[in-house]
Amino acid sequence: MKCYLKYGALISPLGTTIEDHAHALLSNNSGIKQVEGSGFNNENWFLGKMNELSGDYDALLEKALGSLQSIWDAEILKSPRTGVFVSTTKANMRLLPGDTFESTRTLIKKELHQEVDPVIISNACISGVIAVNVAADYLKAGKFDRAIIIGIDVLSDFIIYGFQSLFALGNQVCKPFDAERKGISLGEACGIILMTNEREEGVFAEYISGASSNDANHISGPSRTGEGLVRAVSKTLERAGMDITEIDFVSAHGTATIYNDEMEAIAFNRLGLEQTPLNSLKGYFGHTLGAAGIIELLSCMISMEKNTLIKSLGYLQCGTTQTLAIVEENREKELTTILKTASGFGGGNASLILKKVQ
Amino acid sequence: MKLIAHSYLNRKAAFLNGVKVAHADSEQPNDFLKTYYRELTIDYPKFHKMDALSKSAFISDYLLEPFYADLVDLENKLQLVFANNDSSKQTDLKYIDSYEINNNPSPSLFVYTLPNILTGEISIKHKWYGENCFFILPAFDAQFFADQAMFSFLRGNDYCLCGWVEMNGSENEECFLFLLEKSADTFEIEQLTTLLKSYRNE
Repeated sequence: MKCYLKYGALISPLGTTIEDHAHALLSNNSGIKQVEGSGFNNENWFLGKMNELSGDYDALLEKALGSLQSIWDAEILKSPRTGVFVSTTKANMRLLPGDTFESTRTLIKKELHQEVDPVIISNACISGVIAVNVAADYLKAGKFDRAIIIGIDVLSDFIIYGFQSLFALGNQVCKPFDAERKGISLGEACGIILMTNEREEGVFAEYISGASSNDANHISGPSRTGEGLVRAVSKTLERAGMDITEIDFVSAHGTATIYNDEMEAIAFNRLGLEQTPLNSLKGYFGHTLGAAGIIELLSCMISMEKNTLIKSLGYLQCGTTQTLAIVEENREKELTTILKTASGFGGGNASLILKKVQ
Repeated sequence: MKLIAHSYLNRKAAFLNGVKVAHADSEQPNDFLKTYYRELTIDYPKFHKMDALSKSAFISDYLLEPFYADLVDLENKLQLVFANNDSSKQTDLKYIDSYEINNNPSPSLFVYTLPNILTGEISIKHKWYGENCFFILPAFDAQFFADQAMFSFLRGNDYCLCGWVEMNGSENEECFLFLLEKSADTFEIEQLTTLLKSYRNE
């Protein structure tokens, strides 16, 4: 059973359509800006904050779901053969002390007329990549014919104060892998990827394989050796029956913290990916947590469709002990095979491989 | 697939394969996890830093340890599949108090405001580098776990440590772990539901 991917929806500070995002990414526009008084002590943090719907999880989810009707007809959206998968770390925190995940289920039922509960994945920053892997499991096992894979998280005091308390936020637009990187810029977004077992109109990428791993090292600090990431990528390649040399491009996690980016550089060197073009998209969106894997995969699909490597925004000079082939300017390249990785709290790592449909 | 072993704990007692191995002091309902830790003579200093979600999973996993010895390559071939309905809500609320009431956002609480931290704690304990996933489910669903285990075995794993772990401050707090092994045996999925019901005394 094959799993094909197509665009669903993408809403972020960079726009509300795939076209908006293609334009922004190819123009190297960042959605991150300084937001006055956003910190716990009124610091002016740099955030990928949306002008409309900021912090409004339900409205953002509803809007993204609403745009699917122009892609799949109502019969498909509500079909019991279509599964819905949601990647989110915190869902709707405004519902506390009630059930923060309740509105996710209600809105999906209302907007798509789905009768089955969505499969919700809450696995920190690797949730998005895992959600795609899990959706593929269901399709490959014949449980569903199609999947709607949603990645969503919004900004909140909860998240901003938390990352601030960990000293993980940088006082600048984030600069993944750069020598001057100072930490994360947080962001918010909703992305939807559609997966289908038929090669229908609009599909141009095929899901090949995926895997996850744990660093078995620390709950909030990245591994010094990159062991977990190495194992996740090795397993992904093994399952694909592919060699590392077949990877045309790596869409890395690249949060712009000192330790995360260093860990990734070590892992990619250990894997033999140091010559493979690589970027982090955090300079465009900020770190959108549960949405990150999904919106970055949608961006990879844009990259693939346009045969263009997208500049790793914020990168000027190597800031890791081992070098990587960071994409410094947009450039044309035939992209056939893409590796997407993610790493996060809890020591989790996940990766997957997409291949262009020829 | 095959069920190798299971453990369960709630506010009253902890069990391994249906046998009670520790019981809590009913006078101190909030300290039941600490009571089990002491009664089972566990020695793992990091335990005291964990939130209730991680503590409960840690103890339930500790009970299953004798069954890990005979299994092969758990480091790579065991997947953790966990789920609950309330995510890390109890810790979320405590962390919110740290900045709303105590005026000092607590990093040590914040790191536990993700349910999958417990899979990290278990992985660290055993040096397991395998696959992990945490799901949000409205209620325990045996079919869901069996599906995830089947997918996991299809992906190449040999074992699945599954857990339903709800530590939400309510009377119904519980942690149910079961270890599944890839095998050609037919598996009666409903036995998981029956087991949980008997643990709950339903």
